[in-house]
Amino acid sequence: MSLRNTLLFFFAGWFLAISLLQARLNPESIRGLQDYVRSFRKTTGVSTDQFKIGFLPVTCHLTCPVTDFINVQTTGHGTFEPVRFNSWPELKEAYLAGYTPATFILAPMAIALREQGVPIKIVYLGHRDGTAVMVHKDSQIYRMEDLRGKRIAVPNRYSNQRLIFFRALKNAGMTIDQIQLLEMPPPDMPAALYSKSVDAICSGEPFMGQTELDGYGRVLWLTKDVWPNFISCVLAVREDVIATRREDVQALVDGIAKSGKWLDKNMANRMSAAQFVSKNYYMQDPRLLTHVLSKPPDRVKYTRLSPLQPDFEEIEALGVESGILKGTAHFADYVDPSFAEAATAKVEAWNFAGPKP
Amino acid sequence: MEFRGTEAVSTATADPPARKQDDDAPPERRREPHAWLKLALPLAVAGIFLLFWDVAVRVSASDIFPRPMDVVRGIGELVQKDLLLKYIVASLFRVTWGFGLAVLIGVPFGLFLGWFSRAYQAFNPMIQIFRPISPIAWIPVAILWFGITELAPIFLIFLASVFPITVSASAAVQNMQPVYLRAAQNFGLSRLQLFRRIIFPSCLPQIITGLRIALGIAWLVVVAAEMIAVNSGLGYLIIDARNAGKRYDLVVAGMIMIGLIGLVLDLLVRRLETFDEVRWGYANRG
Repeated sequence: MSLRNTLLFFFAGWFLAISLLQARLNPESIRGLQDYVRSFRKTTGVSTDQFKIGFLPVTCHLTCPVTDFINVQTTGHGTFEPVRFNSWPELKEAYLAGYTPATFILAPMAIALREQGVPIKIVYLGHRDGTAVMVHKDSQIYRMEDLRGKRIAVPNRYSNQRLIFFRALKNAGMTIDQIQLLEMPPPDMPAALYSKSVDAICSGEPFMGQTELDGYGRVLWLTKDVWPNFISCVLAVREDVIATRREDVQALVDGIAKSGKWLDKNMANRMSAAQFVSKNYYMQDPRLLTHVLSKPPDRVKYTRLSPLQPDFEEIEALGVESGILKGTAHFADYVDPSFAEAATAKVEAWNFAGPKP
Repeated sequence: MEFRGTEAVSTATADPPARKQDDDAPPERRREPHAWLKLALPLAVAGIFLLFWDVAVRVSASDIFPRPMDVVRGIGELVQKDLLLKYIVASLFRVTWGFGLAVLIGVPFGLFLGWFSRAYQAFNPMIQIFRPISPIAWIPVAILWFGITELAPIFLIFLASVFPITVSASAAVQNMQPVYLRAAQNFGLSRLQLFRRIIFPSCLPQIITGLRIALGIAWLVVVAAEMIAVNSGLGYLIIDARNAGKRYDLVVAGMIMIGLIGLVLDLLVRRLETFDEVRWGYANRG
C-alpha cells in the first residue's frame, strides 16, 4: 500500500476508533463538550443548569461531596454538580472564567479577589479548624520558638495556613523574619516532610494526618490551639448568580448546612462520610479521612458555619499585615450573610443513616 | 530552525536512486544472524534498570518510594477497577485530536511559510516567540476559553505540537535542493503540479521527522494538559495519585504507562519512514 493510502486508512480509522472508545469509556467528557457548545447558543434568559461547584479533596471542603452524595442517595439526583480540582490556581481560574458559579475557596483569596474587583460573595463557611502543623517525629521542634530559622511549607500565599503563622509568631513574641515560609501544593507536603527537605508543613487535612498514619509526622500544634474556630475555606458565589438565582443558592447553602450538622451529630455519621467520600469523590484511602475526622473529634468542625464579622476582621488585619491584602474590601463588600441566616433558622441535620448497600 | 541542521544535510546529500540500489541487499544479510539481539539488548538494559531500582529502594529503606513489584501491583489494581483502559483511551483521545489538528494546520502553514519568504519573514518571529512557552503557562487561558472540558487539554496539546510541525515543514521547503526546482521548471510544470510532484514529496522525509518529534512532545505534555480538572487520563492518574495520600506506586505506574505508550507511538511513526516516499530522504544514514 502506498504511503498516502496507509495514512488515510490508518489515521481515519484511528480517529474514529479512539473517539468512539472515548465516548464509551468516558461519556462524561462528551457530555462536557455538548454543554460547552450549548453555552454559546444561550444568549438570553437566566441559566437553569445545575450549578457547578469547585472543590479540592481536603476536609475543609468535605461538606460539598457529602451534600452531593446524600442528595443523590435520597432523591436520586444532585442539586449541584461538584467539580473536583487538584490545585488552587485551576480552581480559582475556573471560577473567574464563570465555569463554576460557586466554589469552595480560601477565605483570604476570596477577599483579595473582591479587592481586585471580582464579583464574589462569601455565603457560608466550609468548616472550622481542621488544620495542623506537622514536624518530623525525629526533629527537636516542640514549641513555636523552636521553628526559629526553619523552613515551613504552606499551601498558598492567600491561605489562612500562612496567616496563622503570623498570629502564632505574635503569640510567641517572634517576627516573620525568624522563619522561612515557602509555598507548596499540599499533596507534595508529606513527601517533603519525609525527606526532611522542609522542617514543618501546614495545610488542610487529610495531608497532615497522613504523615501521622505513616509514622513520620508529629503534630506540633492544631489550629484550635493557636486560633480557636479557625476558618480556612469558605463557600463563595458569583454576585450575578446571587441576583438571578437566589433560590438555588439558598438550596445550596441549606444543603451544606444540613451536611455540616449531620457530620457533627455523631461519630457514626463521620465514619460513614469518611468511607463514601474517600471512595466516590476523593479517591483516597478511607483510613486517612477516618483518622482526621476522629482523632481528635474536634480536629475539624462543621457547625457554626455562618460568616461572622469579627472572624473576618481578624483575617483582614492579618492579611494586610502579611502583605496579601490592601484592606480596601470589608465584611459588607465580600459577605452576603442572608443565606446563612435563613439556613441557620430552619435547617436540621440530614436524616440519613448511610449509603444504601 | 533547529531542524535544519542534520536533517538538511541528509536531505541535501541524498541521491535517491543510486543509494536505494546500494542499500537493498547487503544490510539484510548483515543483520539477520543477530536479529534476536535487537530485542534482547533493550530488555537486558530494562532488566538491569529494574534491578537497580529495586536494590536502591531497599538500600535506602524508603517506605515512600515504591519498588517495581509495588508498581506492578498498582497497575493490576487499575486493571481490576477498569481504570487503566479508560485512562489510556482518554489520554490517547486528547493527544490524537490535539496532534491531529496541529498536523492539519501546521504542515500546510509551514509549507506556505517555507515557499513564500516574505510570509516567513512576517510570521517567523511570532512563531519563535510562541514556541518556547510551556503548555503549563497556557493553562489559565485554556480554562478561560474552554472551561473544564475536553477542549482545554486538546488545546494545550495542539499548542505544544503545532509549532515544531510548522517549523520543520517550513525548513523542509527552504532546504529543498534547487536542482529539483530547476528540473521541474525545465519540464514546464504548473504551480499545482510543482507542489504536488516536487515540493511536497521532496519535503516529506523532513516533515515526517518533524511529526515524530512533535508527537513525542504532544505525548510529553499530556501530564501538564491533564492538570486541568479533567477526571480521566494517565496525567490525571499521576496528579490524582498525589492527592490520594501515599500512592506513589500509582504515580510511577502512570509514568511507566506514559513511557511505554510513547515507545509504541514512536515505533508507529518510524514505520512511516520505511515507505519509499520517505525512505530516500534517510538513505545515506545507513
